[in-house]
Amino acid sequence: MSWVVLAMLLVPFCSAALTLWIGHRSEVTSRGVAVGGSALGLVLVVVVAAGHLGDAVPLTHVFVSTSAAVEPIGLAVHVDPLSAVLLLLSATVAFLVQVYSLGYLADDPRYPSYAALVAVFTGAMSTVVVADDLWLLLVGWELMGACSYFLISHHWELAEARAGAVKAFLITRTADLGLLFAILLLGARFGSYRISEILASIQQQALPRDDLWLPALLLTVAVTGKSAQLPFHTWLPDAMPGPTPISALIHAATMVAAGVFLVARTYPVFVSAPTVLTLLASIAAATMVLGALYALFTDDLKRVLAWSTVSQLAYMFGALAVGAWSAGVLHLLAHGAFKALLFLSAGSVVHAVGSTSMGRMGGLRGRLPHTFLAMTLGFGALAGIVPLIGFFTKDAVIAGALEQARHGRLVWPWVSWALVVAMILTALVTVAYSLRAWLLVFFGKGTGPGTADSVHESPWSMRVPLYLLMVPTALGGFLVFKPAAVLGPQHHESLVHGAESVVMTGLVVVTAVVVLLLWRRRGRQMWPHVVLPHPPVDVVWDRGLVRPVGWLSRVVRAGERDVVEAYADGAGASARGLGRLLRLTQTGNVQTYLMVVVVGAAALAVAAGTVS
Amino acid sequence: MPLWWPLLLASLLFAIGVYGVLVRRNAVLVLMGVELMLNAVNINLVAFDAHLRDVLHGGQTLALFTIVIAAAEIGLALAVVLLVFRTHGHIDLDRLRSLADRDGLDELDQRGPRLDHRGAR
Repeated sequence: MSWVVLAMLLVPFCSAALTLWIGHRSEVTSRGVAVGGSALGLVLVVVVAAGHLGDAVPLTHVFVSTSAAVEPIGLAVHVDPLSAVLLLLSATVAFLVQVYSLGYLADDPRYPSYAALVAVFTGAMSTVVVADDLWLLLVGWELMGACSYFLISHHWELAEARAGAVKAFLITRTADLGLLFAILLLGARFGSYRISEILASIQQQALPRDDLWLPALLLTVAVTGKSAQLPFHTWLPDAMPGPTPISALIHAATMVAAGVFLVARTYPVFVSAPTVLTLLASIAAATMVLGALYALFTDDLKRVLAWSTVSQLAYMFGALAVGAWSAGVLHLLAHGAFKALLFLSAGSVVHAVGSTSMGRMGGLRGRLPHTFLAMTLGFGALAGIVPLIGFFTKDAVIAGALEQARHGRLVWPWVSWALVVAMILTALVTVAYSLRAWLLVFFGKGTGPGTADSVHESPWSMRVPLYLLMVPTALGGFLVFKPAAVLGPQHHESLVHGAESVVMTGLVVVTAVVVLLLWRRRGRQMWPHVVLPHPPVDVVWDRGLVRPVGWLSRVVRAGERDVVEAYADGAGASARGLGRLLRLTQTGNVQTYLMVVVVGAAALAVAAGTVS
Repeated sequence: MPLWWPLLLASLLFAIGVYGVLVRRNAVLVLMGVELMLNAVNINLVAFDAHLRDVLHGGQTLALFTIVIAAAEIGLALAVVLLVFRTHGHIDLDRLRSLADRDGLDELDQRGPRLDHRGAR
């Protein structure tokens, strides 16, 4: 079994190398290799994951390990239900994205590098998910950052794509320092870099409260950066100039999911430091409300989805912060399904219309029937409409937070109450912005290219992934009735809460009715366009980090050029000057040389005579 | 005969030779200066040989060596002077400066007629 895991990790990288190698020599073959590689990866993932869902025994295996005297660093894997579900999620979404890209990037000259990077991205996510060694996890983690940089700047001739890519890379890299130092601290503390060993010793030792606050805090920094939470949230919306399938990949299955996964994987570290959990809960509460409000007023379809990702990720962190582990993980899976669906159908809309501005769309329902169906399901799941997946998991999260606020002692009570209020408020705002986007894109009468007759439905390669993603979006919600079947026997608690569900459904219906009334009365301008004041985090990063680094580098450069190089240049120049002086004596006149010799000899003789 | 007589003579000859080598422009006259210096040394050798009453007469033997070397040297040097004259058309040492360290070739030793290796124009 362990060799299947190794093959599963290696297949994406091999297929990436093969795709690049074939490249443009044979367009059809490179596409076949890219899609076939991800299909093979999916098959291997299914083989690995199928054996480890539910109450199966987790697989832990060390392939190779350093034998030095200090803590060994090894190629170690640990496959448990959490890894299995995330493997399934990321491999499925990656496969569908590859199929979808066949149509979306049909004429793109950069297809080979794109497909190769998607494959590497998937392989990196699989590495993170199954890694049992913290350093192996860090490798996958950083590889994902690099891949996202390259993929966001796929259209590198656009200035905003380059800027977004650099921003994403710098912000996530800065936050990644937290993971690096957390690894060093945990390794020094527990004498091992193996996650399973560290977690086991935390559970055995009965550490005093908040003993591990520093590693937990550093991990929080890392995951807030990767998952775009306050104050690192600005990179995700700015990453939107990348190709839309990449947004689906980043938002649903890989990059941002890795942050939530890391918290879920190292959960005992966080539980032993409730203060950090309180911080995480506050971050989540602030981020989810902010993200939802930005989504409410944005005109760009992809940015609406990006802000909703920020807000939904905050739900997951909120759930994890209040101890609702299985609700948070299930919401991660649900969000992966419906956000991939939403982004892929948004890509279909953008592909047809040629713009991401919702002001230029409208009335697309008849022209894009398949996309309409897919996006309706996606927005329904995002808003939490009854039988869809988002409804169940979001209610499970809210119920978990409420339970913690009423009876729990993990997080400070007023923080968990604030989190509950933020969650309910965000759920309502989510309904409003989902409905708005849905109405603006598919109903009414638009102006601009979106209403032209040339708009037509996308090719089959883009439609099939949509239909395949509709299945889990529509039916996956029934997972919450029996989470133990997937997440293992220790998560046997029921996640269905009747009273909360009824109340939330009522609130959702009221909000939807209000929005529909506004739509009926005021048309496309449902509420005044407000430019929300942005929390000045970008300014803070700029003033606090970017500019000092710029100054420092300028000082270093000046020191290099004006101090260090001055000495080197001075040595060279003085040698050359002396040489020029000496050169004057080389007149070529032999008699002058002889004169010098004779006079010198005479002078020496006189000197010798005087001294003796 | 006191020792200082031949030594004085040798010093004078040597000084004249040095003067000739350092100052004269004509290469043949410089060679004559060299000969004067060599012969001044010969005088010294013979004078000390006699003064020290050397049984083996090393000084006189060395003087003979010097004379042979001087003959070889003057033959070689005159051949060089001849070649210089053939290539440059003059034997003025002040104008023979191709060994100087400078960026461009000085016009100084380009003056004069260019002759082929047989001395013909």
